[in-house]
Amino acid sequence: MDVVMSFVAVLAVAVAVAGAIGLLYASGLRLWAAGALDSSGNAHLGYRIVSVLCFSACAVIVLFALWLMIPAFH
Amino acid sequence: MDIATLVIVGLVIAVALTFDFTNGFHDTANAMATSIATGALKPKTAVIAAGTLNLIGAFLSTEVAKTISGGLINEEAVSIGAEFILAGLIGAILWNLITWLVGLPSSSSHALFGGLVGAVIVGAGVQGVNFGVVITKILIPALVSPVVAGLAAFIACKLIFAIVRKMDESKVIDGFRHGQTITACLVALSHGTNDAQKTMGIITLTLISTGLQASGTGPQLWVVAVCGFAIALGTYMGGWRVIRTLGKGLTEITTPQGFAAEAASATTILVSSHLGFALSTTQVCSGSIIGSGLGKKGNKVSWATAGRMLIAWLITFPCAGAIGAIACAITKFGLYGTVGVFIAFVVLAFVIFRLSRRNPVTAHNVNDGKEVKLNPVAAHPMAAGRAA
Repeated sequence: MDVVMSFVAVLAVAVAVAGAIGLLYASGLRLWAAGALDSSGNAHLGYRIVSVLCFSACAVIVLFALWLMIPAFH
Repeated sequence: MDIATLVIVGLVIAVALTFDFTNGFHDTANAMATSIATGALKPKTAVIAAGTLNLIGAFLSTEVAKTISGGLINEEAVSIGAEFILAGLIGAILWNLITWLVGLPSSSSHALFGGLVGAVIVGAGVQGVNFGVVITKILIPALVSPVVAGLAAFIACKLIFAIVRKMDESKVIDGFRHGQTITACLVALSHGTNDAQKTMGIITLTLISTGLQASGTGPQLWVVAVCGFAIALGTYMGGWRVIRTLGKGLTEITTPQGFAAEAASATTILVSSHLGFALSTTQVCSGSIIGSGLGKKGNKVSWATAGRMLIAWLITFPCAGAIGAIACAITKFGLYGTVGVFIAFVVLAFVIFRLSRRNPVTAHNVNDGKEVKLNPVAAHPMAAGRAA
C-alpha cells in the first residue's frame, strides 16, 4: 500500500510541477509577444512585466531543482 | 594480500569503470535525445554539455549507497565477494551493449542489479535474493514510471499548446528552444549526481571488503575522479543509436514537446528520489517523450517501437541476470576462471562493437532515420542491385 501511495504522490507532484512549468513558460512567451510594439507604435509594458514574472517563476523552480539535486545545500 | 585478490580487485575496478562508461553513453539519450531531434542543440554540443554536467554531478554528490544491491540481495546473509561483483558488472555491461546495438533504451541500474542477482543465485543460492524487493523496486517501477512521467508530460504539453496556439509558430519553436536546453541540462545534471555514485559505491565497497580501505569511510578522491571522468567520457561518446530511437523513433517532436518532456522527466526523477525511491531515468524519459507525443494534436506515436522498449525494460533484469549467472559459474574455477571470464567479456564486447559498424549511427546521421537496423538493406549487394 505504501508503494501505491508513493507512486500516487509522485504522480500528483510531477503532474502539478511539470504543468506549472509549462504553463508559466508558455504564458511568459505569449505575454512577451503580446507586449511588443503594436501598429500604432505603443508598447504594452504590463504584458512585458507579467511575462518577466512568469520567466522569473520558472527560474525559481529551476534553482529549487538545483537545490534539491546538490546535497551540500541541505 | 595475495596476488589473486589483487588481480580480482584490479579487474573489478577496470570492469566497474567500463560499466560507468557504458552507463554514460547508454543514457546520453535520456537528457539529450529530444534536444538533438528538435535541433535545439547540435548533436556534438549536446553531448559535450551532457558530459560536462555528468562530470560536475559526480563531484557534487558523493553520497554512495550503503549497500551495493539496494536491498535486492540479502547482504546480511550473503557476503557479496569481488567475484560476484565482477560477474554482475559483466552481465550489466554486455546487456547494455546488446540493447545499445539494437538502439533500445534500457535501465543500466536494472542491468546492474540483474547481473548481481544472477551471480548471487549461482554463487550463494536463491535464498540470497529478496524477491519481494525485486517486484517493488524493479518490476512495478518499470511499468509505472513511464506512465507517471508520460502523464505529466502530456498535461504540460496540452497546457503549452493551449496557451501558444495563437502565436506565430516560428516564435514558439524558437522560444521553447532555450527552455528545452535548460530542462535537458537539469536531467543531465541529475543523472550525474545519481549514476556515477553507483560505480563509486562498488569500487569503495570492494576496497573495503579486501582491506584496502578502512571500513565506514566514503569514496576516495581518486575514485570520485575516475568515476566522474568515466561516465562523462561515455556520455560525450554519445550512444547515438539510442538517441535516434528516443529522439526520432517514438514520435515526431517539436521544441515545446521537448520542453514538456524534459520538464516532466526532471520533475519525476527529483520527486521520486526525494520520496525515497529512485525511478529509472531511462524509463521516465522514454515515458515523457511518449506523453509529449500524445500531447500534440494530430501527432502519432510509434507503438511498435514503444512496445519493443517495454519488452526490453522487462527482460533487462532477467537477461543481465542470466549473463551474470554464467559469468559467476565460470569464476568458480578460481583465478583462471576469473581471467577467462574477463577475456570472454572483452571478446564479446568487441564482437558487438564490430556488429555496430555494419550500420553506424553517428553525430552526423543521427537525425537521418527513425530506426536502428543491424543490416541496412542498401548495403546488401542483391538489394543494391534491385535498387539500381
